[in-house]
Amino acid sequence: MKTPGPTARDAGLVACSVCHLLCPGQPPGRQARTDKCPRCGARLYSRKPDSIARSWALVIAACIFYIPANVLPMTTVTSLGTVQSDTIMSGVIYFVQSGSWPIALVIFVASVFVPLLKLFVLSYLLISVQRRSRSRLKDRTRLYLITEAVGRWSMLDIFVVTILVALVHLGALATIQAGPAALHFAAVVVITMFAAMSFDPRLIWDAKEKTDE
Amino acid sequence: MSEQHSSNSDVAETPVAAVKSLKRRFSLVWLVPVVAALIGGWLVVKALTEKGPEITITFKTAEGLEVGKTKVRFKDVEIGQVTGIIFSDDLSHVVVKAQLAKEAERFLSENTRFWVVRARVSASAIYGLGTVFSGAYIDIDPGKPGKPTHNFVGLEEPPVVTTGLPGRHFRLESERKASIEVGAPIYYRQLRVGEVVAYSLSEDGKKIVAKVFINAPFHGFVRQNSRFWSASGVDLKMDASGLQVYTESLVSIVVGGIAFDSIPSSHAPETQALEDAIFKLYSNRQAAQEQEYSIKNYFVLLFEESVRGLSPGAPVEFRGIPIGQVVDIKSEFDFKMNKVKIPVIVAAEPERISIAGKLPQGVTRENLIDHFVEKGMRAQLRTGNLLTGQNYVALDFFPNAKPAKLVRAGRYGHTEFPTTPTQLEEIGTRVSQLVAKLDKIPIDEIGQDLSATIKGARRVVTSPELMETVKSLNAAVQELQLLTAELRTRTAPELTATVEQARKSLAAAESTLGADAPLQNRLTTALEELAGAARALRVLADYLERHPESALFGKGKPE
Repeated sequence: MKTPGPTARDAGLVACSVCHLLCPGQPPGRQARTDKCPRCGARLYSRKPDSIARSWALVIAACIFYIPANVLPMTTVTSLGTVQSDTIMSGVIYFVQSGSWPIALVIFVASVFVPLLKLFVLSYLLISVQRRSRSRLKDRTRLYLITEAVGRWSMLDIFVVTILVALVHLGALATIQAGPAALHFAAVVVITMFAAMSFDPRLIWDAKEKTDE
Repeated sequence: MSEQHSSNSDVAETPVAAVKSLKRRFSLVWLVPVVAALIGGWLVVKALTEKGPEITITFKTAEGLEVGKTKVRFKDVEIGQVTGIIFSDDLSHVVVKAQLAKEAERFLSENTRFWVVRARVSASAIYGLGTVFSGAYIDIDPGKPGKPTHNFVGLEEPPVVTTGLPGRHFRLESERKASIEVGAPIYYRQLRVGEVVAYSLSEDGKKIVAKVFINAPFHGFVRQNSRFWSASGVDLKMDASGLQVYTESLVSIVVGGIAFDSIPSSHAPETQALEDAIFKLYSNRQAAQEQEYSIKNYFVLLFEESVRGLSPGAPVEFRGIPIGQVVDIKSEFDFKMNKVKIPVIVAAEPERISIAGKLPQGVTRENLIDHFVEKGMRAQLRTGNLLTGQNYVALDFFPNAKPAKLVRAGRYGHTEFPTTPTQLEEIGTRVSQLVAKLDKIPIDEIGQDLSATIKGARRVVTSPELMETVKSLNAAVQELQLLTAELRTRTAPELTATVEQARKSLAAAESTLGADAPLQNRLTTALEELAGAARALRVLADYLERHPESALFGKGKPE
C-alpha cells in the first residue's frame, strides 16, 4: 500500500487543529511537547496528545459504567399500583414478546448494539494501533468513522426515557420514573463519544508510515 | 525554546509561524475510569451489603403471584420481591422464593407468618380491594422472636390478628358452634371491639373452644364476671311489655357475632380478665344475663300423679322465683306398694335464696333445707300455662302437709325431697269448705227480717201524714204561680221605663265627653296652655340657675 503523498509530520509541520494554520512541527521523538498556535492560541499537535492513553481510560470507564447500565432498572413504571422495573434488556424482551418487533429492534440497536459496538471497535482500534498492525488500514478508518457517526444515536434511549418520564405523569394511574441505569447509560454514551473523539485516526496510518520508512 | 528555534531552521522552505510552547500537564483523563471504577465498586458493595435473605414460602397455590412483580410487604412497606415460583417435590404445593431486604432479616423467625393478600369479599367486610389493581402481594407478620429460619409455610387465610396489635386474647367455650366463625365480630354495647381468631373442638370433643381477640383499649372491659353470648341473628322476645327485638348489628345478623357485657354480681370480682382467660359462651343474651350459680344441688322429687306437661328444663320455682330446673324425669313401678312413682330430678341453686337475719339455733346453711322441710316445705306440680299445659315444680310451705324428711342419698344418688299432691286435689277440699260455709248462712231468718221490713214500708206509704204533706205542697205551688203572674204584669213595665231613662243619661254623657264635644276641645286648649306655662317656667328656672343674680338685679341687657 502506497502513501498518496507526504504527511505534514514528514514535512516537519503541524497544522493547527482549530484555525488550520500551518506551524513548524516537532522533531520526531518529542511528541510529549505541546505548543500553542501563534494565531488562535489553540494547542498544537501533530497527533492528538496522549490519544491512546486517553481513549483507553475512557473506554475502560465506559465499560465499567456499561455493567450497571444494563443490570440496574432503566425505568420504573407504576401503573395502578403495580410497580415494575425494567432494565434495558427486559424492556427489549418485553417488546419482543408483545410482538412489537420494530420497537424492540430500535431499542436493541440504539441501547445495546451501538454502545457495545463502539466499545469493541474502539478497543480493537486501540489494540491494533498499539500493536502497529498494518492490516486493513482503510477498513479500520471506516470503522472509526462509523463509530464516531453512530455514537450520538445511543442517546436515543435516554431521550425516550426522558420524554416518557416527562409525559407519563398520570398520578395513580401511571407514572414512569427513570431508574439509576439511565444515569449510567448516559455516562456510557457520553464517555464513549469522548473516547472516540480523543482517538486519533491518523495513528492507524502511522503504523504504515513507520514500516514504510 | 531553543529546540523550537532549531526546528524552525530545519523547515526553512515552508513559511511557518512562530509557536509558543505550552507546559504539559498531567493527563487527568485517567481519573475518569478511576471514578467509574469507584462508582461501580460502590454499587457492587451496596448491592452486596443490602442483599437480604432469600426465603422460601410454601403455599397451596400461586394464585396472583408473579415472579419479579409480586412484592413482600410488611405494614405496607415493600421489603422484598418474589424471585421465583417452583413446585414442591411432590407437586402438592408451590414454593415461592422471595428476596427480602436486609432489614427484613430480623423479622424472620420460626414464628413469622406469611400469607397472600388478595381481594376477599366476605359477608362482614371486603379486604384488600387495592390488590384488585395492584395485584396480590405477600404480607408478613414477624411474630414473636424465635429460632431464625429461611423456610416458611404460608398461611392460606390471612390471620385475623397480627403481632403488635394491642389487645388481649380470650377463650370462649360453648356447646355448639353457633355463631363462631373466624372473623366474626365481637361487640361490646353494640360497638365492634374484636374478632373471633380461631376455633377448635376441645380435646374431649365436648366443647367448641373459640379464641377471640379484643382490641385495645376495649380488652379492659372484659372482666372476670363478664358474660359472652352469641349475638347471631335477631333475638325476638314477646312479653308483657310487648315485642322486643335485640340485635347487635346488621353484620351479626348475616355472619353471626358474639357480644359481651359485665354482669354485676357479688360472686366474681370486678377485675380485668387476664390473657387467655376462659369464659362460657351463652346461647343468647337472656341466658347470659341470668344469674349463674356455681352451686347446684340435685334433688329427686317423687310424684305419684301424672307429670304430663313437665319436661326437662321446666323451672323449679319458689313462690314464683325460679330457683332451679328439672333435669330429668324417670318412672318406676313399685310392686311392693302397687304404685307408680315418678322420680323427677331437679337441680336447685340454693344461692338464689338469701337469708335475712340470724339462722335459728342449730340450723346452718347446710342443713337449712332440712329445717325448711320440717317447717312444711314441699314440692308440688303446678300448671304454669293453661293454654299449653306446661307444668312446673313449685316449692312452697304447706303447714298442713304430712310430716316428711329429706332422704339423703336416695334414688339416683340424690337427696329425695318430699312432695305434696297437686292443687287439683286441694281444690276439692276448698270447695267442700265453701259448701260448709254456705250451709251456715241463716236463710230463713233473713227471709223473715226481709218481710217485716217490707211491711213497715207499706205502713209508711199509706199513712195520713203523708197525704197531708202532699196537699200542702200543692197549695204552695199555687201560691208560687200567683207570684209569677204579678211579676209579669207590674214589675216588668217599670223595669222598661228605668232602662229607657238610663239610655238617655248615657247619650247625654256621650255628647259631653265625645271627641267633638266642646268640653273636650276646651280641655285640650287648657292643657296646651298649661304646657306652655310649664315650658316658660322651665326657661325661667334655667335662666335663674345660670344667672342667679337676675333674681335681684333683673334680666341683663342682651349683648
